Amino acid sequence: MNSVGARTAARTSAVLRWLAPVVGIAAFLGVWELFVRVFDIPEFELPAPSAILANMRDDPGFYLRNTWVTFREAALGFTVAAVLALVVATVAAASPFLERALEPLVVLFQVTPIIAYAPAIVLWVGTGFRPILIITVIVCFAPFFFNGVTGLLSVDPAALELLRSVDASPREVFWRLRLPNALPYLFAAARIAVGLALVGAVLGEFFALVPSGLGVAIKKAQAFTDTLQLWGSIFSLALLGSVIILLLGVLERNLLRWHASQTLR
Amino acid sequence: MSVPPTSTLVRCRGVGKAFAGRSGTVSALAGVDLEVERGEFVSLIGPSGCGKSTLLRIVGGLVPADEGEVLVDGGDPRAARTGKQFGWVPQTPALLPWSTVRRNARLLTKVNRGREAHAVLGEDETVDLLRQVGLGDFLDAYPRELSGGMQQRVALVRAFALGAPILLMDEPFAALDEITRDEMRYLLLRLWEHTGATVLFVTHSLAEAVILSDRVAVMAARPGRIVDVEEVHLPRPRSTDQEDSVEFLHHVHRVRRVLQEGMS
Repeated sequence: MNSVGARTAARTSAVLRWLAPVVGIAAFLGVWELFVRVFDIPEFELPAPSAILANMRDDPGFYLRNTWVTFREAALGFTVAAVLALVVATVAAASPFLERALEPLVVLFQVTPIIAYAPAIVLWVGTGFRPILIITVIVCFAPFFFNGVTGLLSVDPAALELLRSVDASPREVFWRLRLPNALPYLFAAARIAVGLALVGAVLGEFFALVPSGLGVAIKKAQAFTDTLQLWGSIFSLALLGSVIILLLGVLERNLLRWHASQTLR
Repeated sequence: MSVPPTSTLVRCRGVGKAFAGRSGTVSALAGVDLEVERGEFVSLIGPSGCGKSTLLRIVGGLVPADEGEVLVDGGDPRAARTGKQFGWVPQTPALLPWSTVRRNARLLTKVNRGREAHAVLGEDETVDLLRQVGLGDFLDAYPRELSGGMQQRVALVRAFALGAPILLMDEPFAALDEITRDEMRYLLLRLWEHTGATVLFVTHSLAEAVILSDRVAVMAARPGRIVDVEEVHLPRPRSTDQEDSVEFLHHVHRVRRVLQEGMS
């Protein structure tokens, strides 16, 4: 293939990469719309996507305000979990004993459904923002911890020996070798944790008696059988999660230019 | 009054090393004696598992010897390691995938900066060296964008850029194809002849050991020991033409015979 042909193929491939998810989502919404219209499903049972989007367009301030609240909770929980998990993972990676001591603890938190102990957290720390943050941190912690430990430990033994040959301190080994090596693992964890952070924030809002947020909007809509607001809030959550994933992807592409995962497919 | 440096830079006497395995203790090395003079190029050759790499690690202060004495420039190998006296070249290039060629080549000079008693190459000199080995167009490339041979060239430059008086090389060309491997041997010789560093080189290749070295230490296994040291009298600088000479073939033949005797 000549260079002009290769450029055209690359451009086509880039356009298709962006177009494919748009086509997928549009097709899904189209089938949904058709399903509601053909079977004449009443709005209080399942509204059509066009009606949900119209509702969002009519009151954008409501959705923006609540989305911002939920975003703040999720983002803070996500960040605190990432930093805390990386610190704990570093400690665990430095000592096999501590790793074995910490791992079952994290597994226990991970496998116990958060919805089971969310009320207990509210009873313990009270209502408001604090239980939401704690719940979000707990649900996001495990992927960062496990991927962090794996990334910190799975360094190239030859590179480790090379650094030891010039008497590198554990601190230098951490900054020059272990942490950069863990980055792809941490990004993989972050992709999982974005969804979990939103679950944590919404669930926290259900229990924490806070005045606003998409979780609160969903709960109120359910109480008043306001399916348009219910689905509008769900759409807002989906959009928020997608935007965060998109931004994460941009950050990943910039920070992991060196990694094989960033090769264009 | 300062003590003048002796000509022997590395001295091993009665060195022994054992490892605990599932079926008991395995003696990796026993009674190894070896002296390497300043500026000398010495290869260690022997069958797999004869302890070549273990001996290299003991000299490099990465693994302690269980028996005997190892002196590097008259001192403990660990002290030499702390003073960044070793330019280590592992079997795989061990480049940092997130660093460019330029940054990888400077890695060893940046770690523990200032601990070395010798002069290290500055950034410009390192870039010059990279250009000399044909990597001038790849200074800002990442390792995954390079071929295996190019990656190993970066690994060589990285060791030379440290300016260390001793280069320890653990089968650095083992993973390369024969054509690239041949090219790398002469590249290594060209770089080495400029520095006058002392080299301890582990290899499985008879031809490689002979064409590179001043002396070839032949090892045998179970327990790992040096059975003979072949002095190579080929004139320097070495060239590919010498590989067709009768002298070269005689050296290869003798080393092969000692290796076979050691294995029988």
